[in-house]
Amino acid sequence: MVFSSITFLFYFLPIVIGIYYIVPNKLKNIVLLLASIFFYFYGEPKYVLIMLLSITCTYIFGILIDKYKKYSKLFLTLSICLITGILVYFKYMNFIIENINLWLSNRIDFIYVVLPIGISFYTFQLISYIIDVYRGQAKVQKNILKLAMYISLFPQLIAGPIVRYTTIEEQLENRKYSFEKFALGVRRFVIGLGKKVLIANVLGELINVFLATKDSSILFYWMYGIANMLQIYFDFSGYSDMAIGLGKMFGFEFLENFNYPYIATSITDFWRRWHISLSSWFRDYIYIPLGGNRVSKIKWIRNIFIVWLLTGLWHGSAWNFIIWGLYFGILLIIEKIFLNKYLEKLPKILSRIYVLIIVMISFIIFSGENMNQIIQNIGGLVGCAKSNFISKESLYYFKSYLVVFIVAIIGATPIFKNIIQNRKNIDKFINILEPIYLLIIFVISTSYIIDGSFNPFLYFRF
Amino acid sequence: MQNKIKNIIISIGFLLIIFIAFIANIIDKDKEISISERRKLAQFPTITVSEILNGNVMDKWEKYVEDQFIVREIFRGIKSLWSTKIFAQKDNNKLFEKDNAIYKMEYPLNENNVQKSAQKINEVYQKYLKNMNVYYSIIPEKNYYLENDDHLKLDYYKLQEIIQQNLQELKYIDIRNGLELQDYYRTDLHWKQENLGEVVKIIQGNMKLDEMNATYEIQNKGEFYGTYYGQLSTNVTPDNISILTNETISNCIVYNYETNKKSSIYTTTNSADKYDIFLSGAVSLISIENPNSKTEKELLLFRDSFGSSLAPLLVENYKKITLIDLRYISSSILENYIDFNEQDVLFLYSSVVLNQNILK
Repeated sequence: MVFSSITFLFYFLPIVIGIYYIVPNKLKNIVLLLASIFFYFYGEPKYVLIMLLSITCTYIFGILIDKYKKYSKLFLTLSICLITGILVYFKYMNFIIENINLWLSNRIDFIYVVLPIGISFYTFQLISYIIDVYRGQAKVQKNILKLAMYISLFPQLIAGPIVRYTTIEEQLENRKYSFEKFALGVRRFVIGLGKKVLIANVLGELINVFLATKDSSILFYWMYGIANMLQIYFDFSGYSDMAIGLGKMFGFEFLENFNYPYIATSITDFWRRWHISLSSWFRDYIYIPLGGNRVSKIKWIRNIFIVWLLTGLWHGSAWNFIIWGLYFGILLIIEKIFLNKYLEKLPKILSRIYVLIIVMISFIIFSGENMNQIIQNIGGLVGCAKSNFISKESLYYFKSYLVVFIVAIIGATPIFKNIIQNRKNIDKFINILEPIYLLIIFVISTSYIIDGSFNPFLYFRF
Repeated sequence: MQNKIKNIIISIGFLLIIFIAFIANIIDKDKEISISERRKLAQFPTITVSEILNGNVMDKWEKYVEDQFIVREIFRGIKSLWSTKIFAQKDNNKLFEKDNAIYKMEYPLNENNVQKSAQKINEVYQKYLKNMNVYYSIIPEKNYYLENDDHLKLDYYKLQEIIQQNLQELKYIDIRNGLELQDYYRTDLHWKQENLGEVVKIIQGNMKLDEMNATYEIQNKGEFYGTYYGQLSTNVTPDNISILTNETISNCIVYNYETNKKSSIYTTTNSADKYDIFLSGAVSLISIENPNSKTEKELLLFRDSFGSSLAPLLVENYKKITLIDLRYISSSILENYIDFNEQDVLFLYSSVVLNQNILK
């Protein structure tokens, strides 16, 4: 089930909210757990058992780590191997086989396996839980239903953010409800829905046109590059907004996952703003345990490469994701070694342009189906396709999507947020306009969904 | 205080919307068809364990709740309005409105597909039709006649060039000058039968047929919501559909090879598409016999849906017209149904069909 669907908005959500707020407090977690399992089952009827099995194993190992401190490291290792093993089997086995086969004369057969939705997200949540229990940073959860609810919580199950157990530990027992919190939740959810349906999906249609066309004008390559990076941002951040908003509606507070990444002034800054829950996960569970930057320079560089190799792999089991991850790893090393000094001295507009071009190219790599396509789409930006700057077709689509581009570009910056927050004298108008604005976004988004519009789920690789 | 009121309004408002929609959707009776979209609407799916486990129920359920959503037409209209007026998008799923008419961009030209379509026609010619009088014509899509417009159009000239290069042994009939924009329906891709006089003359001239100067009575069959009307939520005035009839046409006997039934040329069906009045719509193999014909000549018309409205206007010239739709019947089995001897042959396809490579 996806959030931007009629089933979720007008069947699942009203039923779950209705039951949740009717039942007494002690039953609320059960309601959420059952709703979340149903939510996952709806999208993944066969593999819901894999998730439940992973949760059960982690629960058992958590108890063992807590009870048998002498063997806690062993249990930690076993649990991580088991959970990661499940992820590797479903996500990476065929990639491994494909690459081994390059060296073998008797090729190994591929296994028939489908990637369960959300496995990368909930696996990382399980690992963060078990490590935090081992480190003593979190109290072991002795109630398997509460642990299951934390992992399977439907707002963040299939597309994040990766919620740490320590963030939510207290909230499993005590959650506060208020109209203010619920309204904030509605606001985040509706805006996220609008980002996904009205911006990301619409830009996705343009991307599809580009991928199908034989037109090779430079303008079209640039439109593709910009649309691609905007689509990924609005889809992903839109989903995170919806997740955070839904969390608030049920009394939870999740951490932010995006902070206007496209105003970053360096790649270092960018990764403090983009998919924050993932980058901080890798920092806390891979980078710092490896020594972080408190080791020799060689080891520090090694640590960065490992983290970014794994970051790339996490996003998908294909070489373009590994290249994408290492691309950022190399850039971060360069920035940290010397480039940041210069970027700080540059006017912000120039450093932002630098970031945007780097990120645009990175997402072309990220989205590419194969290396030829990636090289062509990057080369096309600078006229390597040996064609005109502009063509009838690219001009047509430029005019057709210009308003969407403008809305998306402005929406990717905090311009409106700054205008509203810094003007106390327009509070009165905001109080009147906001409900109307949210209503309009919700109705328009619903109309796009009903019209059976293009509504891709970009996280099928995760 | 105002903030508090605002929060209550937002919270209660959101809950009311989703709850009311939920209840209204449950209560509202399911509809079977959408008249404006001219299609059947998805119904409540059959639930079985295997269908659940393979996810089919969920896919069908999604389609069902989208199709049956209350006041669906209003929402479709809102989407259309938003995308064209607010986002200023020049088309909505390749459809656009101009001067109270709806058009669909057929773009881009798929040279590979056109090549394959031409090769299929040539294959049929080589197998069955050598030494016969074989002609072909390409019906331009109505956008071809749209002027002062920057929407993307099919490259008709390139299409024609590819077809001509591959069908050198067939005789080409250029009907473009026999048509203009007004000869097409406003809300549909097809041409209007009552406007085909010039096209018929051009075909008769090229195929060396007598201009029969037949007279017809135009019968208005009422409002016609064309294909495009249903795909784009719009305020464009619907068309009226008319048929041309006379004594010859009325006496013709139509034989449908699929149903083994006889009928007349114009049939009122339960189809959501009123254009199906012409020879019962999409049929793979159908024949028209003119019992009052003064000639023994026969015509094999390889066609798409455009041919359904043109064929009745050629019955005066032939004792029998056999219409073959290669989208629905494979050319390899034609000899089981047709005796190829000395018939005239006309391949009449629209540029849209040729661009899609759907001939079998």
